[in-house]
Amino acid sequence: MRPAPRTNSRVYECLLAALMSILLALAWWLDPDFVAPATQLALSNHIVELALVAIPMTLIIVTGGIDLSVGSTMALSSVVMGLAFDAGAPFPLVCISALLTGTLAGLLNGLFIARLSIHPLIVTLATLAAYRGLAEGLSKGRPFSGFPEGFLAIGSGDWLQVPILVWLLLLLLLLSALIIRRTTIGLWIYAAGGSQTAAHYSGVPVAQLRLALYTLAGAAAGLAAIFFAARFNTAKADVGAGLELSVITAVVLGGTSIFGGRGTLLGAMLGVAIIHEIGQLVSWKWDQQELVQVVTGSILVLAVLVHNIFSRRTH
Amino acid sequence: MKRSTFIALLSAMSLSVMGVGPRAHTAPGPVHKKTTIALLPKKKGLPYFTTCAKGAEEAAKELDVELIYDGPTDGSPEKAASMIDRWALKGVDVIAVSPNDPDVLGQAMKKARAKGVKVLTWDADAAKDTREFLVNQATAKDIGFALVDAMAKDLGGENASGKVAIITATLTAANQNEWMKHMKERLAKYPKLELIATKPCNEDQRLAFSTAQDLMKAHPDLKGIFGISSVAFPGAAEAVKQAGKSGTVLVTGLGTPNDMKAYVKDGTVKSVILWNTVDLGYLTIHAAHALAGGTLKPGATELTAGRLGTKKIDGDQILLGDILVFTKDNIDSFDF
Repeated sequence: MRPAPRTNSRVYECLLAALMSILLALAWWLDPDFVAPATQLALSNHIVELALVAIPMTLIIVTGGIDLSVGSTMALSSVVMGLAFDAGAPFPLVCISALLTGTLAGLLNGLFIARLSIHPLIVTLATLAAYRGLAEGLSKGRPFSGFPEGFLAIGSGDWLQVPILVWLLLLLLLLSALIIRRTTIGLWIYAAGGSQTAAHYSGVPVAQLRLALYTLAGAAAGLAAIFFAARFNTAKADVGAGLELSVITAVVLGGTSIFGGRGTLLGAMLGVAIIHEIGQLVSWKWDQQELVQVVTGSILVLAVLVHNIFSRRTH
Repeated sequence: MKRSTFIALLSAMSLSVMGVGPRAHTAPGPVHKKTTIALLPKKKGLPYFTTCAKGAEEAAKELDVELIYDGPTDGSPEKAASMIDRWALKGVDVIAVSPNDPDVLGQAMKKARAKGVKVLTWDADAAKDTREFLVNQATAKDIGFALVDAMAKDLGGENASGKVAIITATLTAANQNEWMKHMKERLAKYPKLELIATKPCNEDQRLAFSTAQDLMKAHPDLKGIFGISSVAFPGAAEAVKQAGKSGTVLVTGLGTPNDMKAYVKDGTVKSVILWNTVDLGYLTIHAAHALAGGTLKPGATELTAGRLGTKKIDGDQILLGDILVFTKDNIDSFDF
């Protein structure tokens, strides 16, 4: 059951890579400075939160699920982090509190979905509102800042010209790819995406798997809140607004079928990269924030159309 | 067919990557470059900032500089910080920032300065080590005093009495916090005016509207509301008008004349306090240009700014000066 979707994914990934190359070539034609490695590396720091959350989101969508609450989970983690910092907790504990909040929020989603068998769309739509409300209530709209210099240095620093946060992201990505490729967990994820009942009877622990994946998504959102705080010296309730939409768009653009069973991390990362490059290029070239939204939106509609035509032909 | 497509795509990709990398390095730099100034508002699309941009364009034309006017359309400080990062990478000469959260923008401003970009603040200030000058519309004291004096005058002068409340931008907005400090100082002169609440509207007009409604419900004897941002002011005025309390609850604050004209005419608002925003944008670009050209240096005491003539520099603050008070008698002669 695995080889077939994989081959299709490969072709689609090449298509995305080509799209990416065309985009970069166009960018080079518009302004060579934009594609200079130094510029690209510096701009890559803006990709981290989106890419980080896209990892578990891809896996969740492959199993036929969805998580709409990631942005709100990030906000809740951010606010708890800010409150812990404000209360004078030791800094490592401040970071752990954010990670823990995200993990627990994800676990709660997972329990409703896996144990009570409520549809993930409903569960995470509810927690999308609930976690954001909680974040706003806890912080009363107040942003927290003044994080330690060393922490902010991680957020804006680089090693070998690559931002430190991007190194961390690559590490996590590699780890996830290894787990999916080299362990049975990877097999289970794709199996669960085919037919959950069939997977269940073939011995795949579907419930545990889903519980783990939603918990992981929460943890990733918590970590994203930490990254965000390190980058911008801020923790507040409106962090990650609309993150769920950008992440899901990137993942779907990356070739993951919204109906489950099909999709790869590589594709998702290409999707993330394309959205990132379009946004950065338009801002870089035209300096019109209004335009960024319009252009990104229209190109995505186009990409999803191409995606649909492509998947119809290969089925 | 599949395999050949695959190979074709791969080679196209590697070709373009190879082509892009080295040539970007050897791209010849422009021989003569115009001075580029980036002007960042707190939130793009607000009439207040759009009018500032109008003055900025006028100055840019005069001085033959390239002007980039852009800012976050949702007012998010992170987006503003990312834009400063991008401009620094692009190598603009001066970035003039109206920071909506100095803590968030500070990092990016310092990084830009480290890259050799001149940074100044306008309209609102940030930490001193993040910028060289502040182009200030008026001192905080002048603004704070003008607001309270206007409210007192409209409520009966020296003996003005009653409960008043403030609706501010955000709790972290440096400008508003500074103004409120001086407003409280001035309120001491009118002992019968009682400040009962200070609420944020987070630069959201709907929130300003509902906050004003809540204030009127909680305090039926409320006499006045200060709306001290260009968003809080119309929001509060609309709430008072819809509650049918125009004239009973007076609204005073900072806003552009065009935004407030209707409320001034129907009596909800008697005085609108502001400075000439077109001139503020104009002065900012003149200051940025002088900073880039090296004629404006730390320690300077004056700046010549085109049609505005010579402006005073107080320490590291370039002052625009005059506060304007718009009433129903003069508001029609202003269009911004």
